[in-house]
Order: sequence, then C-alpha cells, then structure tokens
Amino acid sequence: MRAFGWRAVVVFALLAALPLVPGVSRYYLLLAFDALLFGAIAMSLDLLMGYTGLVSFGHAAFYGLGAYATAILMERGVQSVWACVGFALLVVGLYALVVSYFATARRGIYFALLTLIFAEVVYTFFRYTQTFGGSDGIQGLPDATLFPGLVIDTPTRKYYLVLAYLAVAYAICRVLVASHFGRVLVAIRENEDRARFLGYNVQRYKMGACMISALLTGVAGAIYPMRSAFATPDLMLWTESGEFIISVMIGGLGTLVGPIIGGVFFTILRDKVSSIVDWYFIVIGVVLIVIVLFMPRGLLGLRRIFSRERATA
Amino acid sequence: MDYVLTILLPQLLHGLVFGAALGLLALGLTVIFGLLGVMNFAHGELYMLGAYAGIAVIGVTHSFWVALIAAPILVGVVGAVTEMTTLRPLYNREPLYGLILTFGLALVFREGARQIWGGDMRRILPPFTGSTPLLGMTYPNYRLFLLAASSAILLALWLFFTRTRAGIVVRAAVQDAEMLDGLGVDVRRVFTLTFAASGGLAALAGLLLAPVFTVYPQMGVEMILLAFIVVILGGMGSLGGSVVAAFVIGITQSLFSLWMNPQRVAIAIFGIMIVVLIVRPRGFAGREGVLE
Repeated sequence: MRAFGWRAVVVFALLAALPLVPGVSRYYLLLAFDALLFGAIAMSLDLLMGYTGLVSFGHAAFYGLGAYATAILMERGVQSVWACVGFALLVVGLYALVVSYFATARRGIYFALLTLIFAEVVYTFFRYTQTFGGSDGIQGLPDATLFPGLVIDTPTRKYYLVLAYLAVAYAICRVLVASHFGRVLVAIRENEDRARFLGYNVQRYKMGACMISALLTGVAGAIYPMRSAFATPDLMLWTESGEFIISVMIGGLGTLVGPIIGGVFFTILRDKVSSIVDWYFIVIGVVLIVIVLFMPRGLLGLRRIFSRERATA
Repeated sequence: MDYVLTILLPQLLHGLVFGAALGLLALGLTVIFGLLGVMNFAHGELYMLGAYAGIAVIGVTHSFWVALIAAPILVGVVGAVTEMTTLRPLYNREPLYGLILTFGLALVFREGARQIWGGDMRRILPPFTGSTPLLGMTYPNYRLFLLAASSAILLALWLFFTRTRAGIVVRAAVQDAEMLDGLGVDVRRVFTLTFAASGGLAALAGLLLAPVFTVYPQMGVEMILLAFIVVILGGMGSLGGSVVAAFVIGITQSLFSLWMNPQRVAIAIFGIMIVVLIVRPRGFAGREGVLE
C-alpha cells in the first residue's frame, strides 16, 4: 500500500465507481476497457522507454502473442481467465527471453530495430499460418470465466477485469521503480558505461526490464480477447507498437502515471476523432509531432508548468 | 540447363532490378541515418509520395519522362520543408525524439495520400513495352531500363560522393557534423539539402518501381522494413555497404521465392538479418563504435 500512495487509491476507487454512474452505457464501458488496457500497456512500455532508455518497436508482438494464447485456449474449450493468463505468460515469456537476450546486447537504434524485426517475424508467421486463421485470426471466442460460475460476460464485469489488471500491474511497476533494481535501470539510462564500471551486469538488468515489460504487455494481450472475442495478426503489426510509443510520449516518459493517461487519451482521441472524420491518423500524427516538438515531457509535463516548479533542465 | 535459362536466370535478373531500386531507397535512408542518428520512418512515405506525384504529373502532362524529373523534385521540396519545420528543432535533443517524430510524419503522409488519392490500388503504365531477347530468354524492356537507370544513378551518386566537394561535405557531415560546423560549413543548409535529396531519391525509386508493382498508400510501409534491413546489413551509415546489401537482399528475395512461398521468404530474410546482427552486428561495412 505504501508504494501505491493514497492518490492512486483514490483514483482507482473513482475508476471502480464508473459503472455505477447513471448514464454510462455499454459503449462507454467498453471504450473505458480499451482505454485502460492501452494505458496499462503504455505503462509497461514506460519501464523500458522511460526508466531504462530503450525504445521497443516490437511490443505489439508481446501483446498479440498474449491475445493468441487466450484465443488458442478458448478455441479448444478452456475458458478460465487464469489458464489463459498463465499460458500467455508462458508463451510471451519464452519469446521475450529470446528477443531480450539478443536485443539487449545492442544499444539505441539497434535495440529498436531488433525488437521490430523479431516482431515482424511473429506477425508474418501468424498472418500466413492457416492453423491460426491466417489474416482473419481467431474469431468468435466465448466469454471467459474467472471462477466456476463467474462468467465475464457483461461490459461491467469486463471493465472490472481490466481495472483489476491495471491496479496489479501499476503496483508491480511502482514497487519495481522504487526498488534497487529500478534505480539501477535509471542509472543505465543516464550512463550505461558508468553503471557497468560500478560493477552492475548491465545486460542482465536490461533483460530483466525487458522481460517484465513484455510479460505485463502479454497479460494485457491475454485479456483483450475476453472483451473483443477475437485475436487477429493486426494486433502484432509494427504500427501498433508505434501507437504504444505514441501513448507513452503523450503521457510523459518515465512517470508510469503519464503513459496510463497517455494511453487513455490516445484511445479516446482515436475513438472520438474517427467517429467524426475518417482521417484521424492525420490528427494523431499531428498530435504526436506537436508533443515531440513543443512538450517533450508529455501531458504530465504540463503539471510542472502550472505548479511553477518548472525545471530549467 | 533449361531450368537455368528459363527460371533461374530471369529470377536472378529480377533480383538485380529490384536490388538496384532498393539501393536508391536505402542510400537516402543511410545518409539520413548518418546525419540524424535516427531511422527515418517517413522514408517509406516519401517513396510512396514519389509514385503518387508521378501519377499526378502524368495526369497533367501525359508523359512518364516528365514525371520522372518532376516527381522527385516535388517530393524533394516536401522533404526540405519537413526538415526545416519539424526536424531542425530536434538536432540537439536525444535521437529518440527524432525517431518518434518521423513516425508521426509517416502517419500524416500516409493518411494524407489516402485522402487525396483514395485507398485503392493504382497502376502506372510503363512508358514502353515489349521485350528483348537476352542470353537465350526474353526479358521485359522496362525492367532492363529500370536496371540501367538505377545503376546509372547509383554510379552518379558514387561519383558525387567521391569526386565532388559537395559530396565530400555530406560525407563529412555524416561522420561528424559538429566538426564540420567548426570548420565553417553551414551545416543546417547541408542537412536541409541532404534531406531533400534523400526524399527525391526515395521518390525516384517509388516512381521507377511503380510500373512493376502497384501504387497504394500503404506501399511505403512494406518497403521501409526491407530498406531498414538493407541499411543495417550494410552497416549503418555506410554508403557503399548499403548498395551492396541492397543487391544481396534483392537477389536473395527473388531466388528464395523460387523455392518458398513469399511469406516464408519474408521470414527467411528477417532470419538472415537477425543472424547477421548477432554474428556481425555492424553489418558488412560498419565500423566499431559509430552511431551507437
């Protein structure tokens, strides 16, 4: 609870009260599901981008693999949330072990491109393997069951599922960031060579960060088909990874809370703008450009300006 | 022998043709990488814009040849304006921001093209048809022209980079822009012009390949990954390495597709790439410690 902080508890309590608000329709609950899920993924990515200084362009593969893990089990009659999440952890964990081993051996742009290319291999494999439905993916999945007798069927239950996941993931990230491990990650971001000279096994730390980030993203992926009832290869497309990065940037690097806000903002923006115009990618692109150019600290960076503790750095 | 003449040889030529065009695309990408330290995600979109600009110019002038001159210039102007308004303020910041910015630019360009020209597939007719007997087989004239034109441009670029003062200045900027600035060269102008030229090259590749492939807003997304692979294989920031890698990838791709279906080819190429990065992380010609 200490790592969680009272403000987080208040926010989660308010979020938990959302389905009780009169007038919140099915549609808005499912939008809230997407928004919080996206926020959770962006937060996981922030462990890598914001704290360790590694940009992954392959997170969509962790996400998509998690989704396929659930879909494959459900197609075979397994509906338990725990089984699906467990299977996703296994599959994503094995894949992430390979990716992070090779990718963390390289810095900067090489890391970004290696994660991107590994993800493209996974995407191409699922896109063209008919066993897994090819480009249509796996569709028409049943509802998941949390415990015998408790089916996650209504939008409200789905919403609580993702909210519970977000709370757990947030607690994990908070504890990690505050720990010795988290501080070594920041040291690596600031000066990798110095961290190495201090005697830290830099690659092992980077691999650890990469694995945790991947596993959290994989679980988010495992939850997604429980709302959408499908898993498609498009979830693994590298432009999807780009959208995760956009969310982190919108919210503010290295803040955990920022990327959650960024993911929520991005999802709602995409939903609202796309219902008005069909060129929402232009809007999203322009938002991204404006943020990079004028507010590199993201939405959360605005807080500093308003509270007059404007950092000169 | 029949197999060699009717199947292997044409496929090898296809690979050469594709490799030469890929070289044009990758060369611009690698120079920009050297200058900015980031992969330009919008490069594939400049390639796509080249094809669409070609369609627009052909619509007005009814001439492929005019388009071949005008489209790269138009896209080059787009590149120059983009560089001056969005990338220039980022030169003193971490490369991460440049990477993400170009991703945003790519979204805008791609969707912009879809809004202007629609999402469906288009074709550009080759300016001439027919085929030539060659080594016991017949080969389409346009592809031969494509190979000749791309190779000529690559040769011209090689002469530019090695024999002219301007080319040497660009290479110096790729290696150490700060030092070049200290030597009294207007680095900002070098950056803008280089960005414009790299956009123009991408556009040229897009238009040259358009009669062979199809034109659609997503065409850049598919090409850019291949171009990334070429740039990494060649050793980031190495000009000669990129051209060699482009031919290697072009030929590998077309030979492999004789024996596997196209999807497996994609996976095979990604696989080669991963192995190269692990065994020889700096590619064919990259040097230790550059640009990391």
